Amino acid sequence: MSNYKVVHYINQFFGQIGGEEKADVPAEKRQGLVGPGLAFKQAFGDQAEITATIICGDSWFNENLELATKTVLEMIKEEKPDLFIAGPAFNAGRYGVACATIADAVQTELGIPAITGMYIENPGADMFREKIYIVATGNSAAGMRKAVPVMAKLALKLVKGEPIGSSAEEGFLPNGIRKNFFENKRGSARALDMLTKKLAGKPYVTECPMPSFDRVAPQPAIKDITKANIAIVTSGGIVPKGNPDRIESSSASKYGGYSLEGVDNLTADTHETAHGGYDPVYANQDADRVIPVDVLRQYEKDGKIGKLNDWFYSTVGNGTSVASSKRFATEIAGKLLAQGVDAVIMTST
Amino acid sequence: MLTSSFQILTNNPLVAESFSERFHVKFFDDANDRDVLRNVRDLVHLGYRVLTAPLSGSVKPWETPYRSVMMTSDHGDEVDAFSLDIMERALAVIEKSKDRPWTYTPSVLYDFQVIDLSLIESALPSVEATGRL
Amino acid sequence: MKLELGYIDIKGIRFGDHNAVEDHVLVVNPEELLEPVLADPLIKTAHFEIANPGESIRITPVKDVIEPRVKVEGPGGIFPGVISKVHTVGSGKTHVLRGMAVVTAGPIVGFQEGIIDMTGVGAEYTPFSKLHNLVLVMEAVEGTGQHEYEKAARMAGLTTAVAIGELARDLTPDESVVYETPTIAEGYQEPLSNLPRVGYVMMLQSQGLLHDTYVYGVDAKRTISTLIGATELMDGAIISGNCVSACDKNTTYHHLNNPVIRDLLEAHGKTLNFVGVIITNENVYLADKIRSSDWTAKLAKFLSLDGAIVSQEGFGNPDTDLIMNCTKLENNGVKTVIITDEYAGADGKSQPLADADDLADAVVTAGNANEMIVLPPMERVIGTLNFVNKIAGGHDGSLREDGSIETELQAIMGSTNELGFNRLSAR
Repeated sequence: MSNYKVVHYINQFFGQIGGEEKADVPAEKRQGLVGPGLAFKQAFGDQAEITATIICGDSWFNENLELATKTVLEMIKEEKPDLFIAGPAFNAGRYGVACATIADAVQTELGIPAITGMYIENPGADMFREKIYIVATGNSAAGMRKAVPVMAKLALKLVKGEPIGSSAEEGFLPNGIRKNFFENKRGSARALDMLTKKLAGKPYVTECPMPSFDRVAPQPAIKDITKANIAIVTSGGIVPKGNPDRIESSSASKYGGYSLEGVDNLTADTHETAHGGYDPVYANQDADRVIPVDVLRQYEKDGKIGKLNDWFYSTVGNGTSVASSKRFATEIAGKLLAQGVDAVIMTST
Repeated sequence: MLTSSFQILTNNPLVAESFSERFHVKFFDDANDRDVLRNVRDLVHLGYRVLTAPLSGSVKPWETPYRSVMMTSDHGDEVDAFSLDIMERALAVIEKSKDRPWTYTPSVLYDFQVIDLSLIESALPSVEATGRL
Repeated sequence: MKLELGYIDIKGIRFGDHNAVEDHVLVVNPEELLEPVLADPLIKTAHFEIANPGESIRITPVKDVIEPRVKVEGPGGIFPGVISKVHTVGSGKTHVLRGMAVVTAGPIVGFQEGIIDMTGVGAEYTPFSKLHNLVLVMEAVEGTGQHEYEKAARMAGLTTAVAIGELARDLTPDESVVYETPTIAEGYQEPLSNLPRVGYVMMLQSQGLLHDTYVYGVDAKRTISTLIGATELMDGAIISGNCVSACDKNTTYHHLNNPVIRDLLEAHGKTLNFVGVIITNENVYLADKIRSSDWTAKLAKFLSLDGAIVSQEGFGNPDTDLIMNCTKLENNGVKTVIITDEYAGADGKSQPLADADDLADAVVTAGNANEMIVLPPMERVIGTLNFVNKIAGGHDGSLREDGSIETELQAIMGSTNELGFNRLSAR
């Protein structure tokens, strides 16, 4: 006799439809459990039962974010579940974003407790860890056996309305909310344990991660701005009309480099934004509002700056992972250096 | 003529009263703790350096209404990065702290003034022992 | 240095017509014991109350907690430079009245904090609820300045503790433990020479009234970072003159029973070589901070430390000292773990520390001092509740009609102690 009805969300791979070549299959619903659902059944025992499983292609979900969310939400709503579980997604980026997006929507729009699980570096983790409970998992499906019992236990606590402990006790990713609890050892003994590991070069986990800032030492000032070649780089998603490189509206996997040769002014006919994270109307009307090509051309004519660089580089900063951003930046910086750029104006949105 | 090489910015009347005849004191009457720190921060941008910890004392920012900070009375041409860093961090702490919904009795206010005076006083032997600030 | 601590377990306190420790019970003649306290012209009234674990008692506002000890063999006396004559302590034999404390209570300033609940949920957060407490409640003569009153109360507590410790001079300890620390040269001989060299950096609050610490009677803010023997602290070489920040100030009891020192001594010769203790202050003046942390790192280098534990005291600008100590140690190749506490807001969503650095990558936290707690009403209050609405973390209406108190954890004595005295943590 089961207490709680559960709907489970998985991608095409775990749904046994296929790999990357099947990533564009739309969402479908099956009764009962599929794939990893079996592990959850064992973890839940007779306390909860997966009554339906939704399988969805990762590409289809991410490329049709709004429609996909709405479709999946509707499928879940029909089941009237007590609880929703997505994944675990491990380190699969688009799967992680899909799991977290749908779990967040289930929680806020349907008012049903929802959790997911993924690896800490999954972009979905950074986007949603402060909104929903995301259980920390390994970076591959090999972590399934460890992840499922933790997810099941936390999910049952949520659905029963039991108090949730700290992230360290419950196994979810730190969600920015500091919560007190009693450790097994006193602080001095924990400090000694940590130091012993640190001295031995073994891994240890700090109890209070420092806010990590990527500090960049400022460059020396430009000596003569009237001679400088100035480039534009933006995360505001400005691209030539039609978005020739198909830069994604969120979680961008690429950036584009575009010529400004002979361009004095960006217009609604020539440029637009690919960004899905802000109201695009004003950027599409006049992309100079995001990257001030018109003003810089004027400055160039007035002799206030030496030159506007012939190329600008653009990507979408919406949910794009730090790792991708670092890669883009390294490549773009190399190109700018080769083009003899002296300074860069970076705009965000 | 006051010749001290430092100045004290404060909203604590007791500090103003105790030090005005000996040192440069900028007294912000009716200003709150945040105003004092913002004024300090603004001077940092003009090249003055901060000499004492802006969050001095373990009286919590949301408890005490008083802040006193010692700075150089001369300024250089460049912004002192350390001073700016410590002021911005202090402001971040103090701005997240909640507003005091209650008012203190005059005797409690006086106690806070005494503590704040004592904190800034504790820096005097140090500043006076230092040759070049 | 070699010190033997002889523990005499105290299982109760009662008033009587003489002073003695009888069959593990401390008998107190209040009149006699109060005599030196009341001899101070600044102390108007003083009396004792007894609070035992599990009793429905709230003690507030607490100033200091002190464990009575007596020097039985070896040079010097307890609290050298303050109560006993200045003499290097930390060797010979010392008797400890374990399981009890002298607690000083009384309002020095109008916003004082410091609650010890002997039962209920609050008792779980303070180590002092597990002790038999002899509470010394004092009131100063009208018009006494805060500085003078603080000193009078500080001295009264220490004097009383020493007088009680004296009662244990001729008793036979229930347990004896020998603590021994090596010289530098011994540390380079087998078997210690094979172990990592570990030091302890102890930060002392030193910022003015209600924020002071004394080392052999010297105000710590007028000191430069220096070395001290681990066993010296066990004889009271460091005492607290600190009355604010109840949750994360180090009481004299903490200094006597420093848990980092205990744990390092326990591991000494097994997994590490405990080389020494560096004490360093937390001053208001920024150049002092820079100098003191420079010296901390320099001493650590002189000692050829491989690793260090740094403990903090207080919150706010001590975070600056903490991060300076940590980064300078790390930059000198000393692997460092820091112990701190957090002020992450009542909702736990704010930045926990006032300073931060990537090099502080090994942090032990004693918990979020802003977390709210409701303390149930107690049958008896020792001290006064007049200040509860004003204490740190309290707010208007903190004290409810039924006597319960809604407050932040920071009002509770020793709740987020940064020596790592407790099990409380946060994530």
